[in-house]
Amino acid sequence: MTLLAIDKLSVAYGDLFAVREVSFSIDEGIVFVLLGANGAGKTSILRSISGLTPARSGSVMAEGKSIVGFSPHEVARAGISHVPEGRRIFPNLTVEDNLIVSFIPARAPMPAAQALAAVYALFPRLAERRKQAGGTLSGGEQQMLAIGRAMMNFPKLLMLDEPSLGLSPVLADLVFERLAEIKRQGTTILLVEQNATCLELATRGVILANGHVVLAGDRHALQDSDFVRRAYLGV
Amino acid sequence: MDDLQAALLLALQAILSGILVGGVYGVLSIGLSLAFGVMRIVNFAHGELVMYGMYAGVIASKSFGIDPLFILPVSFVVMALIGSAQYQLVFKHFVGHATLQQLLAAIGCALVLQMIAQIIFGADTRTATSFFSGQYVIFGPFFLSMPQIVAFAVAVVATLLVELLLHTTTWGKAVRAVADDMETAKLVGVNASFINIGAFALSAGLAGLAGSVLVTYFPTYPSVGFSLMPIIIIATTIGGLGSIGGTFLGGICCGIIQQMTAMLWNSALQDVPLYVLLMLFIAFRPTGFFGLRSE
Ligand SMILES: Nc1ncnc2c1ncn2[C@@H]1O[C@H](COP(=O)(O)OP(=O)(O)OP(=O)(O)O)[C@@H](O)[C@H]1O
Ligand SMILES: [Mg+2]
Repeated sequence: MTLLAIDKLSVAYGDLFAVREVSFSIDEGIVFVLLGANGAGKTSILRSISGLTPARSGSVMAEGKSIVGFSPHEVARAGISHVPEGRRIFPNLTVEDNLIVSFIPARAPMPAAQALAAVYALFPRLAERRKQAGGTLSGGEQQMLAIGRAMMNFPKLLMLDEPSLGLSPVLADLVFERLAEIKRQGTTILLVEQNATCLELATRGVILANGHVVLAGDRHALQDSDFVRRAYLGV
Repeated sequence: MDDLQAALLLALQAILSGILVGGVYGVLSIGLSLAFGVMRIVNFAHGELVMYGMYAGVIASKSFGIDPLFILPVSFVVMALIGSAQYQLVFKHFVGHATLQQLLAAIGCALVLQMIAQIIFGADTRTATSFFSGQYVIFGPFFLSMPQIVAFAVAVVATLLVELLLHTTTWGKAVRAVADDMETAKLVGVNASFINIGAFALSAGLAGLAGSVLVTYFPTYPSVGFSLMPIIIIATTIGGLGSIGGTFLGGICCGIIQQMTAMLWNSALQDVPLYVLLMLFIAFRPTGFFGLRSE
């Protein structure tokens, strides 16, 4: 079943079109990757799905219903969680409070304490740091917290904007490994990356350049693409 | 030797009185600090909300014979409602950026509120009487005003309650999340407009409550709020905009410095060192002692 369908989505800042008529759809249970270089329009797409940056035109359907015009908190309450670029944890809230504020009783199949336990099981490191202010965490821990925070919403679709950015390769691997676990537990993932190593995790995806989709396909098609080869060769 | 002892006693007396009045400066200021912390709004009309709280105390005591201390919940609720209206009409449009237009809009609000007060209450200075009015406590060699002690106690309790509300309740945590990063708070499902109006109402309610406490020992007049604003802003800057506990301590610092200046130097110049301190803080520590962490 299609969880999210984007059709001819355009996003513009003034006269500048950051995203032009991008279309793709995401089936339930998969990891969908949006791959592209700096400025390709990846963040703009996620922000317009979340309602932070209104789309100029096009449609966004979640489970067959349009979510265009929804406020960001309504999108979250419709089961779409967004882990923003740069993690953006709440620096003055403790780790636990970062998680608690993201818990929406009406959406959750379990009480807050159990939801917390589930996140701590996913990221044991966060349990050790539960009383610490978010702003004092290391970059890797902040990324775990940002993902854990999104999981407190029991999302149907988890969107992540460059979760490996600024992390060491070891930490980036750890994050991708946790995403694989989240997928195994049944959450659909929309992963935005510049880093092609994330393709190992991908079911399908698109490659974006200058706001256009230049290639759409399954993991192998993407791995064999010029974009990815060039990136690996560093040209 | 005796001179030294006398000077020391006077300094201690100044510190004690300073702590008492400073606590009230603190509670006058925490609402302003909260609105700034959450919405980046500098409500220049905060003092006017205090002023209405003061008049509420005057009316309670002079027209109904009720101690102003008994109407604190009423002042809180009424000013919270007025504050919500002010938010809906004016400040909603400026959430997230303390621009020059925002400042002017707030000053406009302040002037309108002053004018309305002048029409309703007249330009005269009014006082309220509380059960404790005129009472003193003699504590060793020190001499403390009972209304100030009571006002200090109320200020401490109010500040602690606000801290408790912000740190232990779900609503409070959402308010602090919005203060840290409004956009991300929305992304995790927080209805930020709803939080903002609540936080603004709390800010205004605290101003009203503080006014009704203050009026038990300090007279009111239509522009009293405006004359309190410098102290409120200085207390908030020293303590750290957005930090409630910090702002309260900032108020106490202001009280101590002001009383020391008044008793040991010249009461006409009591606020001068505060302005010097304000400039030093702006230059060297703009986030105050307890300013919040930013990302
Ligand atoms: N708020 C904004 N105002 C104006 N232009 C913007 C804004 N945000 C993004 N842009 C422009 O839109 C284009 C796409 O930006 P976007 O952030 O979506 O790219 P991205 O693929 O996420 O890049 P990166 O990998 O660097 O994060 C860029 O040219 C960028 O300069
Ligand atoms: Mg980006």
